[in-house]
Amino acid sequence: MSYVLEVERVVKTYGQTQALKEASLKVREGTCFGLLGPNGAGKSTMMKMITGILQPDRGTIRVFGQENRKPMDAIRSQIGYVPQEITLHDELSANQNLKFLGQTQGVRGAELQQRLSEGLAQVGLSDRAKDTVGSYSGGMKRRVNLLGALLHQPKLVILDEPTVGIDPQSRNLIFEMIKELRGRGTTIIYSTHYMEEVEALCDDVAIIDHGQVIAQDSLHGLLDQHATQAVYVEAEGLEQAPELASVSEVTAKGRGWVLQSAEPLSVMQQLTTLLVGKGSRVRALELMHPSLESVFLKLTGTQLRDG
Amino acid sequence: MVRTIASKEIALQLKDKSVIFWLFVLPIVFIVIFASIFNASGTTSYTVPYYDADGSGQSQQLVGILEGIDGFELETDAERPLQEQLSQISEGRQTMLLVIPEGFGERMMSGEQAEVQLHRDATQDAAVGPVLGVLEGVAGRYQEEKLRAVMTEYVPGEAVEGLLAAPVTVNDIREQATENDPIAQIVPGYTVMFVFFAMISMITRFLKDRSSGMLSRLQGTTMKPRQYLMGMWIPHILIVFIQSAALLTFGRVVYGLQLGNLLALSVIVLALAICVTGLGLMLSMVVGSENMGLGLVQIIALGGAILGGLWFPFEMLPAFVQTMGQFTPQYWAQQGLQDVLLRGAGVGDIWPNLLILLGCGTVGLALAVTAFPRFARKAAA
Repeated sequence: MSYVLEVERVVKTYGQTQALKEASLKVREGTCFGLLGPNGAGKSTMMKMITGILQPDRGTIRVFGQENRKPMDAIRSQIGYVPQEITLHDELSANQNLKFLGQTQGVRGAELQQRLSEGLAQVGLSDRAKDTVGSYSGGMKRRVNLLGALLHQPKLVILDEPTVGIDPQSRNLIFEMIKELRGRGTTIIYSTHYMEEVEALCDDVAIIDHGQVIAQDSLHGLLDQHATQAVYVEAEGLEQAPELASVSEVTAKGRGWVLQSAEPLSVMQQLTTLLVGKGSRVRALELMHPSLESVFLKLTGTQLRDG
Repeated sequence: MVRTIASKEIALQLKDKSVIFWLFVLPIVFIVIFASIFNASGTTSYTVPYYDADGSGQSQQLVGILEGIDGFELETDAERPLQEQLSQISEGRQTMLLVIPEGFGERMMSGEQAEVQLHRDATQDAAVGPVLGVLEGVAGRYQEEKLRAVMTEYVPGEAVEGLLAAPVTVNDIREQATENDPIAQIVPGYTVMFVFFAMISMITRFLKDRSSGMLSRLQGTTMKPRQYLMGMWIPHILIVFIQSAALLTFGRVVYGLQLGNLLALSVIVLALAICVTGLGLMLSMVVGSENMGLGLVQIIALGGAILGGLWFPFEMLPAFVQTMGQFTPQYWAQQGLQDVLLRGAGVGDIWPNLLILLGCGTVGLALAVTAFPRFARKAAA
């Protein structure tokens, strides 16, 4: 199997704070790799080390098979990095910003102009290309910010929380761009704390928390290994959580209850018997899909949104 | 890569209206204000209020002599009592009053020593000084006339003139200079002072690149640190060069300032631009915040302006200030510019000035290059 990125036992410390603690990752070529973790988990530090912006205190990072401890133009010219911040000049137009970003990646002249026009059309901003970026919405800026990292057609695209604080339209456009990139064989590393984004986009996932990679596998592999199955029930007269055999945990959700269990069919059978016996009117009784939320909860003991 | 960064930087500067204000509008306003003040001061006459309590022919003769002196005007308000006029001085509403006391004429006629009184506000020495000097000169002329009258009785007329002639005379000969008017001090002075404020926009741009994540993003490209520094530096050299050229051209067009040898002028302005931006580059790397940068630039720009003789002719400054001033780049820039503007100096005549300015710029650049890795690490963290 060919890996575009191999991170081995990387340690990074800022003063007294250890941002990464012997973190390891492997990213397969042509996949979309999700790096999932709460704010402050070490995702951005990991991203910056992959691009060579930061150097690890210990450990090794190999990109395209080459160690990137030293600045290596051959590696960097194949990476497109979209930082978490919107790094655009508000005073300049989208055209000017993108020309600048494209040129810093070595694309020039007619080739740059063509890619720029195509890219702006793809992100739905052709008609606003000459407007100053300062007049754009947050979502529009995010789209330009992303496009600026793609003009040199990199083989590896690193996206650090590219959808923070944006509108659904911009989110969908960014998702479309990512799917198209993956379709062309580009490897994508996607950092986020939104589980639904990872579930929608990523082939492989690593969960990072407190500077440690606590799990890494394909999305399905993680769900199979770690997600607890659950049953959702909502019925009249079911004010108290039902106490049933083989249920490991019960949590309230909306007007009903989520019952986690390794034997969900048995739980459903018990619930049916219980509710029929009580004569309760059942509003919902369903088997829940395993989610990354439950994986994260199981592995870290906290909800991801708790931060 | 250098061209890419420089082009972007120029585009950003052109969009920033405050740059136009700081670099061009404000210096021109200062030049116009100070040129108006100092140009007008060359033709101003001193108006001396007087009170003639004597009213004799001798007192009127004295008033006539004083009115005949260039730059002096006498005015009197005979209707107001003397005491009231004197109280105006003690209350700070009048600077001085020349009083010719009663009996002045009689004492003159009898050969006794007569006095006139100059009442003045003790806090206004600078304004009263020239008047006092003129009065002492007039008193000396009275003494000379008295001596001449006595000597004429005993010595032949020609010999009297010989005896009364001053043993030493001073002949004022001007060489190698066009007329030294205030404009030749003000225009280059304020040009040099305001180019140092260009360091503020350099600091702002570097810190913005760092805080916005742009520098971090660029570090992920094939860009080299030296390319980034050069790309950010060159546009500011151009801006300072254009700023200086515009202000000197303004002086030429509006006030007829002689620009001298244009090659030498261009070279000294370029050296000044390299010096200022080199120091600006160094400051950008070491300041912790924009406010800190603003404070340091003000100290450098205004402190250097005082010490370097940008506000007043350097020769008028106290000796210890002159000594300190020679350690400021502003001094060498101003002297170099004035050598070109006033004395027609060529490039060969101002080489020490060029060397010092380029040296300052080079030291600034070297320190900036040394400090850049630390600056970049802060951007990445």
